[in-house]
Order: sequence, then C-alpha cells, then structure tokens
Amino acid sequence: MKEIKRYARLYKVFVAQFFKYIVQSKVDFLLGLMGFFLTQAAGIAFLYLVFEQIPALADWTLPQLIFIYGFAQIPRGIDHLFTDNIWLVAWNYIVNGQFDRYMLRPMNLFFQVICEKLQPDALGELLVGTILLIVSLSNGVVTIGGTKVLLLVVSMIAGAVIYTSVKLLFASFAFWMKISGPVLYTAYQLADFAKYPTEIYAKGIRFIITWVIPFAFVAYLPASYFLKPQVSPWSTIGVECILAVVGFGIAYGVFYFGTKAYESAGN
Amino acid sequence: MEIEVRNVSKEFVSPKKYPGLKGAVKGLFSNEKVRKMAVEDISFSIEQGEIVGYIGSNGAGKSTTIKMLTGILEPTRGECLVHGINPSKERKKNAQNIGVVFGQRTQLWWDLPLSESFTILKEIYNVSDDEYKAQMKFLNQVLELEEFFTRPVRNLSLGQRMRADLGAALLHNPKVLYLDEPTIGLDLVVKDNIRKAIREINEKYRTTVVLTTHDIEDIEELCSRIIIIDDGRKIYDGSLAELKEKYGVTRKVTMEVKNIKEALQVDLSSLLKVPKEAYQITAEMGTNSVEIAFDKHCLGISEVIAQYMQHTEVRDIQIQETELSEIVKVIYRHGMEQENKQEEGMVS
Repeated sequence: MKEIKRYARLYKVFVAQFFKYIVQSKVDFLLGLMGFFLTQAAGIAFLYLVFEQIPALADWTLPQLIFIYGFAQIPRGIDHLFTDNIWLVAWNYIVNGQFDRYMLRPMNLFFQVICEKLQPDALGELLVGTILLIVSLSNGVVTIGGTKVLLLVVSMIAGAVIYTSVKLLFASFAFWMKISGPVLYTAYQLADFAKYPTEIYAKGIRFIITWVIPFAFVAYLPASYFLKPQVSPWSTIGVECILAVVGFGIAYGVFYFGTKAYESAGN
Repeated sequence: MEIEVRNVSKEFVSPKKYPGLKGAVKGLFSNEKVRKMAVEDISFSIEQGEIVGYIGSNGAGKSTTIKMLTGILEPTRGECLVHGINPSKERKKNAQNIGVVFGQRTQLWWDLPLSESFTILKEIYNVSDDEYKAQMKFLNQVLELEEFFTRPVRNLSLGQRMRADLGAALLHNPKVLYLDEPTIGLDLVVKDNIRKAIREINEKYRTTVVLTTHDIEDIEELCSRIIIIDDGRKIYDGSLAELKEKYGVTRKVTMEVKNIKEALQVDLSSLLKVPKEAYQITAEMGTNSVEIAFDKHCLGISEVIAQYMQHTEVRDIQIQETELSEIVKVIYRHGMEQENKQEEGMVS
C-alpha cells in the first residue's frame, strides 16, 4: 500500500509537469492538437466519400461506421496519452544506453518508462472519439444505459491495454535488436485496419488483426456488440478483456527478460 | 566489507559482421558469433569509507565493472555484493543504497528545471521532508546549486550540470557513490570544486567512493588506493604510495649551471662507483642546464647533487618525482608487452 502511494505521488509530479507544459507552450500544444484533429477529420471525410459511391459496406450503414470509427479512437487515445514513451525505448533508449538511468533507480522499470511522458497530441484522438460517440448517441445509432455504460468503459480500458501490450512487446525486442522502431511501427500501423469492419478484408489480414495482433478486439468487435443486439458481450468484450490480460502478461514478460539481457552501450 | 567482487567476468556476444554489402548479406545467413571478454575474472573488495580510483585505458573494462556493480549489467560469471546485496538480483534494493554519476551523460530530466528534477528524485528515493531539507542545505553548501536551481537542465553549463548531477546522486545519501569520469571536460576551478565536494561528502558520511578517471590529478588528490585494469584484467591493486615506490623508480634532477662544459665533465660512474647504465644525462645548451635521470635504488639524490656542487657552480636545482601518469603508461606498456609475448609464444 505504501509502495502504491509512493508511485502515485511520483506520478502526480509528472502530471503536474504535463499541465505546466500545456499552459506554458500553448502554441505547440494547440498545433499538435490541431494536427491530430485534422488527421481524424480526413479519416471521416474518407468514410463519407466511400459512402457516396456505395450505399452500404458489408451490411454496415454510414452512421454505424462512424460509431465504430469514433469508438476506435478512444482506446487508442488513452494508450497514446499515457504510454507514448515506449516508442523511445524502441528507437533510442536501448541503442544509446539511456536506459541505464532507469536501471539505476529503485522503482519499477515499466512504470519509470511510461510515467516520464504524457502525450498531449493524444487529446486530439480522445476529443474526436468522444464527439463521434456523442453524435452517434444523439442520432440514435446506439442506445446505451445501465450495464452497457459499464461495458463501454471496460472495453475502452481493455482496448487501451491491448494497444499498450502491442507497443511494449515490440519495443522490448530492442533489448536484443538494439533498435526495434521499424518493427513496432509496422505492428502499430495494423491498428488502422481495425477502424473499419474486419469483414471487408481478405481472410489473411482478418486472421492477423483478430488473433495475432488483436486490434480487431480493440474497436470493431466490441463496437459491434453495441450496434447489433444479436452479438454476445462475452464473445466480444469478454474475449477482449482476456486478450488484454494475457497480452499484457506476455508483453511484460518479454520486457522483463529484455531488461535482464540489456547490454547498455559504451561511452 | 562494503563492496565485494568475486571472480567476476562479463562477456558480450554479438553476431559476426562482415565488411561491405556482400558481407551484410553473408551476415544474414551466418550464425557466427563474436565473443568479447570485457571483464575477465576480476576480484577485489572495498571497505566502507574508502575512496578507490579505478583506472585503465579506454575499453579496458572500467565502465563494464561499474555497470555490474550498479545492477545495469549482469555478470556472465562470478558475483558482486554491494552492502551485502547482489545488484543484478536485487536491483531496486541496491539502487536505494547507491548514487551514480556518469560524467558523459546526465541522469537529470533535460527539459525540466533543476528544482523539479530534485522534487522527482525526492519521491523516487522516498526521502522524507526533513531529510530532504537537511540534505539540500548540505549540498548547497558544497556544490552551490542555488545559483542555477530554477533553470532548466539543458541551459546549464557543463560545470553546473556536473555539480547538479553530483547533487542528484547524493540526495538520498547513498552508502556507495560511483563516479564515472566526474571531471571530464571541466576547467581547473570546477574540477577543484568537484574534488573538494567529493572529499567533504566522504568525510561527513563515510561514503564509499569508486571513481573512474583518466585525470591523474583526480587520483592523486582523492584516492588512497587504486585498482588498475587493462584489457579486462586486474593488473594492480594497492596504495598510491606503493605504486610509486614499485614503478616510479626513476628520479630526475635538473640543474642550471654556470658552465655547462664543466658540468658535463662530471663523471658520476667513476666518482660514485656505479655502472654507467644507472643514470642518463641530457644537456640543454640554451638554458645551461643538465638533466640527470637515475634509478633511485642505485643512486641517492643527495650524492648526485653533492658531486655536482663540488665540481661545478650550480645556480638552481629542481627535483622531480615520476608522475603517476608516467607510471600508468609504464604499466600499460608492461601489460601489453606481456600479452605480445604470450601471443608470440602461442604462435611458435
């Protein structure tokens, strides 16, 4: 308990730094936010363009797809906000020996990596996701209440954990490869497929994003539970939670063994 | 015993690389490995409160040893104990006991004001408010952090940054302090201040200090004991005085004389009845001075001077002890020669 309090106190210091940064560098912050906002806007515009040509995509209507799209942004945004520093492990920290300083401190290594940075750009994704969810709710595309609200929150958190696990797993390869940025980037890009119904893809891709790097369980599958009454929450959000726990376990294990194999770098 | 190192070796294994593009393709399909022994079978122990200089040429294995003692690297063989804790097995527990400064790389948060770095470190090391206040007061006295305490770390000069890093490593009052080239790139005044600070901390808290450096003055001013390693192996462990006694046998006397020709006629070998090889004389005509280098076990310094005073008019005398840097050079060369001999032996 005392340990947890200590970690929480430390995290608070970094959160305070984050707000200080936002207040002090308004221009930087707003530009970053704008950039991500525009990327999202382009993604939605793309959906509209597609639907101008075809009335329905694998049985899905445009408002439903917009819900899925918005739904996908939130776990991505949560992960992006809290664990962005993992990217630097993949690209820099191992190869140039900066990981040393984490090893020198009496704290959990994973916690040290993620607590150092909160990524303000993520607020763009969270904002777009929230707006699209609100729009969908007011359109009546989805109706949620009671247990569904709880399931929505659980699914978002589990989705974020899946994102984090994928990042952590591929970043940990750097302990052996020195730089694993390109591999991580490729894996992370697969998440883009999960913004749309997986039925539209070829079998191979569908298999990969469902069972190998399970991004389908981050967005499309849980979102379909809210859209179609016949879909069971167990086969979607239930499996998502199991994947989150197992996936994080594997990723953390690889990270742990990686820190044992860490070779630092010469001066 | 504060630090125990028992038969520690560290081996790095990396895939074999071949030159050129062809080589890169070849490397993809070959499974050959290159093994490099960075540290080989090193043992030593250090008592609490000692300041030990750990020296060696570049790539000799100094940093690797320090990294094993701090828990960054796991030894391939052997075991280290720091304050009774195995650093690679109980990294967190060990980290609470040690402070580390890497001269070439800061441990501080680059973009944050120094004051924030200290706030963060206070939480990381679980330092209570009272301890924090007391320790900050002491650190301010010896390192004068106040003058740049609110500035971001990236705006500090190298000297300020080093003081800040040293302060940061000492905030939790560690039992053992590792300093990896703490004075590299600093000017003389700052070097002096850093050394003074290290001494004061050692005296006040009996902190054990392990110091790697290329700066011989660091060693001479701080360390009572030195360990020299070369090519991963320990080649000397003992006091500084002993080292000088053992290897610093050459003495040099430089005398400025009135008449250099007269001075050169002084024949030490017949006057003192020693072989000619025991000394070496070089004359400098421009400054009218002669330099006599001799083995101090064969000749006494007073004898040499007395002979010259008798036979010629001496205006000025300078006596030089061999500098540590020269001794270290001799030892390195010695080590290398031994190795060459071994290799030749293997070939034949």
